[in-house]
Amino acid sequence: MIEVRNLYHAYRGENYVLKGINFSMGKEIVALVGPNGSGKTTLAKHFNGLLKPTKGSVKIDGLDTREHTVAELSRLVGYVFQNPEHMFFEESVFKEVAFGPKNLEKSEDEIRKRVSWALKSVGLEGYEERAPYSLSGGEKQRLAIACVLSMKPKYLILDEPTTGLDAKAEKRVVETIRSLKDNGHGILLITHDMNLVLELAERVVLLYKGEKVYDGPVEPFFDIALERYSLETPELLKLAKKLGVSFVRSTDELIASISGGVL
Amino acid sequence: MIHTFYRENDSFLHSLDPRAKIVGSTSALAIILLFNDPIITGSLLVSVLILGRLFGKISIREQLRLLKPLIPLVLFTIILWPVIYKPRLEGFMFGVSFALRLLTLGLVTFILLMTTPQRELIQGFVKLGLPYEFGLTISIGLRYIPTLYILTRNIMDAQRSRGWEMEKGNIVVRTRKMSAVMIPLLVASLKTAHELSIALESRAFGAGKRRTFLHDIKMGKKDYITIVTSLVLLGVALYLRYGFGFGHINVYG
Repeated sequence: MIEVRNLYHAYRGENYVLKGINFSMGKEIVALVGPNGSGKTTLAKHFNGLLKPTKGSVKIDGLDTREHTVAELSRLVGYVFQNPEHMFFEESVFKEVAFGPKNLEKSEDEIRKRVSWALKSVGLEGYEERAPYSLSGGEKQRLAIACVLSMKPKYLILDEPTTGLDAKAEKRVVETIRSLKDNGHGILLITHDMNLVLELAERVVLLYKGEKVYDGPVEPFFDIALERYSLETPELLKLAKKLGVSFVRSTDELIASISGGVL
Repeated sequence: MIHTFYRENDSFLHSLDPRAKIVGSTSALAIILLFNDPIITGSLLVSVLILGRLFGKISIREQLRLLKPLIPLVLFTIILWPVIYKPRLEGFMFGVSFALRLLTLGLVTFILLMTTPQRELIQGFVKLGLPYEFGLTISIGLRYIPTLYILTRNIMDAQRSRGWEMEKGNIVVRTRKMSAVMIPLLVASLKTAHELSIALESRAFGAGKRRTFLHDIKMGKKDYITIVTSLVLLGVALYLRYGFGFGHINVYG
């Protein structure tokens, strides 16, 4: 369980960018949303110890992040950064994925097992000898997830995982995230993409100017006036409302509700 | 996000023509390089700090904060000099002197960048006869220092999240570990440079031989006074240094 209690954070003694955040999450998909500068990344960076609380506390499965290094916490929380290329420096996909378990001082046999499992989990089996920089945008994103996954963390933080991807690549990343959830990972999605929230999230946390303004299920979240927070209601939901359907998650659901009730 | 050193303000230095500031800064840099007596180099550092506060309205604290990234280099200089120069006390004094020089050189450059917008700086260089391409190159180089710093931190954070610990191991191990940061940094820098060149070309960079400027700069009375004053000060410094040997200790004698 990730537990955040009364968290405040200020960079170099400046104003607080996080103000009294209380939050907890388990093995679920939580979408962390909010406009630029609302504190999403600052909050997420507390979960693997990249940032330490100015006030308050962050505990990961009971471990206080202030008392543990990022390397220690990386066994529990994996962080996939927005730009996957910021991770890549090895000449092959295999070596790239093996980097994390090597840092955790795993045996060669264990490293091979982990790399194979992580690549399979993200649908990149057979890519072992490819150069990371030669992959497509979607493949790079999935490789970045595999790099973190090979460390077998319980929780995964994915920062804007679908930004800049084409429809096909986005679909593969969404499928990967779903299968990770099914395998028992807790997933924190940092995103501006409300379609992704609608499609994947089980819970939404909305930050605004460093404060938590919403924390709850997805359906009531879309009843909030999102424009106020520079967010936009997905077209699918707007259409559903015009057709008199209160809430759907996908086009298929919408068709089913219409054909069941009206047509 | 764009990061520059420039800080908006209404100080005397902000109001000067960039050409006057370039001539002034160049004279200051030359004066700093003339002396190696730690008392003189120390006095020059203090003088620049005070001038930056009085004429640039940059607080002493802010100026000292800007010098922070130079601390490793300063410590390296202070430690290395007594090792290679005997007697050790004199070596230490030279180390201090060179470190002070380094800090003052950095400070003059920072003050120029903090009080001159990038556009004006290029314009100043071009009007002084430098080809526009050179002016732009210098300006882009300076402008990307803070961006590269932030990029390096992001990459380090990404690798730390994979259990990478820079602090572990001896110097050889640590140097090897740096490849995890240097390679993504190099790739990102090359990509940025490539994209930047395309962006410049797509906006007709280099199409015309004579560029025009939207906001032209004009020299005024105070700019001429600044240039004359700084050249006179440089002349006085040269005279003191070479006429009387003032402020110079012969290191190799």
